[in-house]
Amino acid sequence: MISKGKVLLGVTLFITAIGIVVSISMFSKPHLDISNVDAQIVIDSNDLFKDYLTNETEANTKYLEQVIQVTGTIEDINIVKDKSIIALTSEDTFGSVLCHLDADKDHKIAQLQKGQSIQIKGVCTGFLMDVILVKSVIIN
Amino acid sequence: MKSIITTIACLILSVMSYGQEKFLTKSGHVSFFSHSPIEDIEAENDQVLSIIDTNNGAIAISILMKSFLFEKALMQEHFNENYVESDKYPKATFKGELINFSTLENNAEVTIKGNLTIHGVTKPTVIKAKIKKTEGNISLEGNFPVKVEDFNIEIPSVVVNNIAKTIKVTFNLDHQPYTK
Repeated sequence: MISKGKVLLGVTLFITAIGIVVSISMFSKPHLDISNVDAQIVIDSNDLFKDYLTNETEANTKYLEQVIQVTGTIEDINIVKDKSIIALTSEDTFGSVLCHLDADKDHKIAQLQKGQSIQIKGVCTGFLMDVILVKSVIIN
Repeated sequence: MKSIITTIACLILSVMSYGQEKFLTKSGHVSFFSHSPIEDIEAENDQVLSIIDTNNGAIAISILMKSFLFEKALMQEHFNENYVESDKYPKATFKGELINFSTLENNAEVTIKGNLTIHGVTKPTVIKAKIKKTEGNISLEGNFPVKVEDFNIEIPSVVVNNIAKTIKVTFNLDHQPYTK
């Protein structure tokens, strides 16, 4: 005959063990791998920029932290400290959609040229002079 | 005729020099570091916008809070949702002045005085930095402490030992002449 106390102890230990496993797995939850995630929003770089220029607060509620697939024309390609940044054109003279590429996955960058049309997927972090996408990957 | 040419030349020169008045970077680096007995937390941001007006040494910096990348996804979530509330306050800004900018020499130490805004709270701030100043480049490098409670950032008591009360902010801003 197992005593009530032992059962209670067993249950408590079991729950604690589950708690520890869950919190460890949550704590070490990996970052989103953008290349394996479907974009929540598909949009043209002109339209994305225009939305931000018209109403930044509203655009933030729509785009912030979303995985966005942008189609646009390459305005500029920059490499800063081994990290590639692709600027996509907007109708505005001063701004663009700046896609900061994931460092590990930029092997396609050498083949790109200004004026070329491209599709890029990334996470939108907001608007400074440009709309910023981070962790970006080139789709084609 | 001569006066027209002179006028045009003056115009072209003024436009050319105007192009050199502002130095800018859109990919400045800012990171912060929190040291506590339990854990060290670090986050990096490579999308910092900074503009210097060389006429008067004015500087304006804008930082997107969501652009800070952490080693652990959960830390990043907590930072954005619970601490800096980046949906409500998406940007941190600094507006100020590089003191005695015109007389500063390359590799000198510069004092930057201005107002730092984080989490919707603005505080007067003085920062020391090392300046590299050439014709085609102005870079600023340094670090300064930020007291979390100064900016009304509340740390829940459960994690109060995991997060430092004073965070070290490091910056490296490499400005180029703004031509566009």
